[in-house]
Amino acid sequence: MATISVPLEGGQVGAPERPHLKASDLLRWSVDHKIIGIQYMVTAFFFFLVGGTMAMMIRMELLTPNLDVMSSGSQYNTLFSMHGLTMIFLFIIPMFAGFGNYLLPLMLGAKDMAFPWLNALAFWLIPPAGILFMASWLVHPPEAGWTMYPPLSTLFSGDGQTLAALAAHILGISSILGAINFIVTIKNMRPPGMGYWQMPLFAWAILATSILVVMATPFLAGALTLLILDRIAGTSFFDASKGGDPLLWQNVFWFYSHPAVYIMVLPGMGVLSEVLSIHSRKPIFGYKMIAMSSMGIGILGFTVWAHHMFTSLQPELRIPFMITSFFIAVPTGIKIFSWLGTLWGGKLHLNGALLFALGFLSMFVIGGISGVMLAAIPFDIQVHDTYFVVSHFHFVLFGGSVFAIYAAIYHWFPKITGKMLNERLARVHFILTYLGFFFTFMPMNWLGMLGMPRRVAYYAPEFQNWNRVVSFAAFVLGISTFVLVYNVIVSLRQGKEAGANPWRALTLEWATTSPPPATNFIGDPIPYEDPYGYGTDKANAYLDEIDRRFGVADEAPMPRPTAPAPAPAAGD
Amino acid sequence: MNSTKLSLSTVIIIAVVGVVLVAGGFLISSATPQLLPAQASAESIQVDELVRILLIIGGAIFLLVQGMLAFSVWRFRAKSGDSSDGLHIHGNTTLEIVWTAIPAVIVVVLAVLSWQVWNQLQTPKENEVVVHVDGRRFNWAFTYDAPINLMPEQIDVNSLPENVKVDVQDDGSLTITSPELHTYIGQSVLLQMKPQDVIHALWIPAFRIKQDLIPGRETSIRFTAVEVPGETYPAEYPVRCAELCGANHGLMVSKVIVHKDEASFISDWLVPMMDKVIHPPTDPVLAGQAILTSGVYPCPTCHVETNLGWSPASPVGPSLNGVGDRAAGGRSTATGLSAKDYIYQSVHEPAAFVVPGFQPLMPQLNIPECQALAIVAYLCTQTDSGTPACTVDDYAAKCGSSAPAAEATSEATAEATSGITSEATVEATSVPASEATVEATSAPAEAATQEATAEATSGS
Repeated sequence: MATISVPLEGGQVGAPERPHLKASDLLRWSVDHKIIGIQYMVTAFFFFLVGGTMAMMIRMELLTPNLDVMSSGSQYNTLFSMHGLTMIFLFIIPMFAGFGNYLLPLMLGAKDMAFPWLNALAFWLIPPAGILFMASWLVHPPEAGWTMYPPLSTLFSGDGQTLAALAAHILGISSILGAINFIVTIKNMRPPGMGYWQMPLFAWAILATSILVVMATPFLAGALTLLILDRIAGTSFFDASKGGDPLLWQNVFWFYSHPAVYIMVLPGMGVLSEVLSIHSRKPIFGYKMIAMSSMGIGILGFTVWAHHMFTSLQPELRIPFMITSFFIAVPTGIKIFSWLGTLWGGKLHLNGALLFALGFLSMFVIGGISGVMLAAIPFDIQVHDTYFVVSHFHFVLFGGSVFAIYAAIYHWFPKITGKMLNERLARVHFILTYLGFFFTFMPMNWLGMLGMPRRVAYYAPEFQNWNRVVSFAAFVLGISTFVLVYNVIVSLRQGKEAGANPWRALTLEWATTSPPPATNFIGDPIPYEDPYGYGTDKANAYLDEIDRRFGVADEAPMPRPTAPAPAPAAGD
Repeated sequence: MNSTKLSLSTVIIIAVVGVVLVAGGFLISSATPQLLPAQASAESIQVDELVRILLIIGGAIFLLVQGMLAFSVWRFRAKSGDSSDGLHIHGNTTLEIVWTAIPAVIVVVLAVLSWQVWNQLQTPKENEVVVHVDGRRFNWAFTYDAPINLMPEQIDVNSLPENVKVDVQDDGSLTITSPELHTYIGQSVLLQMKPQDVIHALWIPAFRIKQDLIPGRETSIRFTAVEVPGETYPAEYPVRCAELCGANHGLMVSKVIVHKDEASFISDWLVPMMDKVIHPPTDPVLAGQAILTSGVYPCPTCHVETNLGWSPASPVGPSLNGVGDRAAGGRSTATGLSAKDYIYQSVHEPAAFVVPGFQPLMPQLNIPECQALAIVAYLCTQTDSGTPACTVDDYAAKCGSSAPAAEATSEATAEATSGITSEATVEATSVPASEATVEATSAPAEAATQEATAEATSGS
């Protein structure tokens, strides 16, 4: 293959006219993947704040061992049920769908997704679902946890349970439509010169995630349909007294919801591969192993669901699920070690994006270790349904996914808006988030092991001290979010110009203006032979050519070589 | 491929780092006893050994990753204005094989160890005693079959009053129910569990055991209590519900009481419990107080009752302080019932009349007739003046053990027809009248047993 080091074919020199995005553009139907991506992100972030507010109320209640903030135990139950459902279905999943939408066509040098209209439809299913979901406050919100185990969810949960199930149904359809679009886009729209093995790892992560979504989400739809029928049509799929079985729900629900954990974390891992390589100026270590481990996690992820049922599954069935659950740690470990290998010998530029990526590694590994511990049945028996599990999945979904979302915001905000975020505020945000997060969720490990079950508004007085630590740290974590919100608002107005390629990155989304024009690129961009080929003259020549085409902003965050780079070689 | 030859210094560094990590893992794992409750069962000792191994390995990996991160940030941080790139390295096959193989070996080892421990936990023990567990929103009931021949004085099963007799099994053992789980050091117990409404999970943190109670099935879990050094006996450990079961899930707490040995288990708890069952108090007020304080019913979850020390965290039911006065006053006017009938209705059909300002939250408890009458008798006495607002005069006749023979016979029949509990109906109808007469006359009526918790036993 001829090596090409010119980012853009033929065409104009100089930047094309930069589009100016108005807030009102976000409220209208658009088939532009960039606008849809922003619509996803803004909507998801709104629900992040909603879910976060509920988390703060939960922690207020748990400052004392007795019920004092809430008026009843059942009101407390609605709170954590809605918190979980909101964060999972209305924040993390749509947030990554947003980044996927915005970035995937740009990374592939494409002008849009494969099915733009379908893309818009997938997004516009979310607002009505969100409204339906929030409307459950008006009737009686669900109070059976996000896991909605019957018979609690069929006998003792309000009509909001039905509304929430319907909303989850609609969100599932949205996810499936989006995932099909991603798969087809990756399959068909890669530019010449980019085989599967030359794709950015974020694209690999989106591919693995989308395959999981398409395969797993129909099981959620099936389970929800049975639940809704049991609630409104008098059926008894889960009613043991009429021949149904409550374990049927648990099996089908977790057959979706365990892969869903990977749906929520794989895109974050994709983000990490981009950010770590670019900001430490070093090729990703073990590209193929990282790409393949995403696929491995995707496949193995379908074989571990019953480890969520180690206290309800019939005992002889537990062993096989313990073995698969242990083995899924291996591909995850490969990723973590590959990322550490990427940092080793690099030139680490500790800006907001890299700080949050390092924070991801630091916190996610704790969730990984507690995950391996949970796979061991005898230990799981002790901590199942306790704060140990609450800690575990927050280390994975906050320490993992949310840290990755923050890293992605700091990394791609310049591309999306054309403005840099304030780095000093980014550091404040990181420190508050990192410390607030650690002291919120680490003590939960001890609480769970010592005997505090999850989902309780009342707890034993001896647990109060740690719960206070957790609550105060959680308030710090809650406040830290507003540092980011403030940074975004201020930077949108007064942020420094970003230029096309502030980070001197090799992937194609940086080979165009920030924000990109409606057609993404002027002419067809030509990908560099290796998306992570940092540290060679050839790569620097390619990057210099981008700088030459689009110009460099005055205080570009990533230093440029002082001497002007030699004119790029035209191939070899 | 730059690692075909490792220099000596590299090998030494790797060895030193490895030793430090493993030592760190051991150090972290030494916190195991502080991270877990007392080791009060044989299972807890086996599980904790596994936890220790998990913490050694997990701790070492934790230190490795955090150490690598900290070292990288310190060592490889770009100087301000440094525009150079890092090393152009794409990977290292040897290294990648190593960090795939080592975790794979570790998880295989952990899987084998966990499997072994799990098998030990699962193995049936000799002479296991079966205890039946009922989980219901939001309390527990533990039911034992106690051999009646443990009683110091010989009890003639046939001479027991009707309402006690329902608790006697065919093999001569007596069914007793307790809101707490009792066991003794060295006793192997098999819990056989069923929920009455939704899924619950029985969790005894000090025993490291947990098992869901699932509607439509009977699930089980086993444990053997062991002596905890420095503990005073009888020792108490919490029993919690771990699966979300509704509004007061967090209050679904009981305790397991571990007695020193079998002798004290029998003499301090089992025999007194059986005695209470066999000799129910004749005074309905005392009987009612005993039932209410036994914890068999979840009343203290919602009702304030200062005389019994009830002060729930969320008193969603009307206070029971002075309930006798209100029953005889406003409530009687509102419902047209006598004070006694009003309280009886409130206990039996809570939804029939809901006190203004409250929600119809109280469940239908299906309390057996004699227990309900005793509870009514107790609540009648809850007045400001101390003078009972009402009395249950027919309690002795219906439920007491000293009732005259003829009356007892007719009452037994009456109970049978009114169908208090299905068990009672079967028992009562299958007993020939003449026999019932004999039993009733020969039944002892002892004042000494009046403090007893009486019929707390028949439970659900």
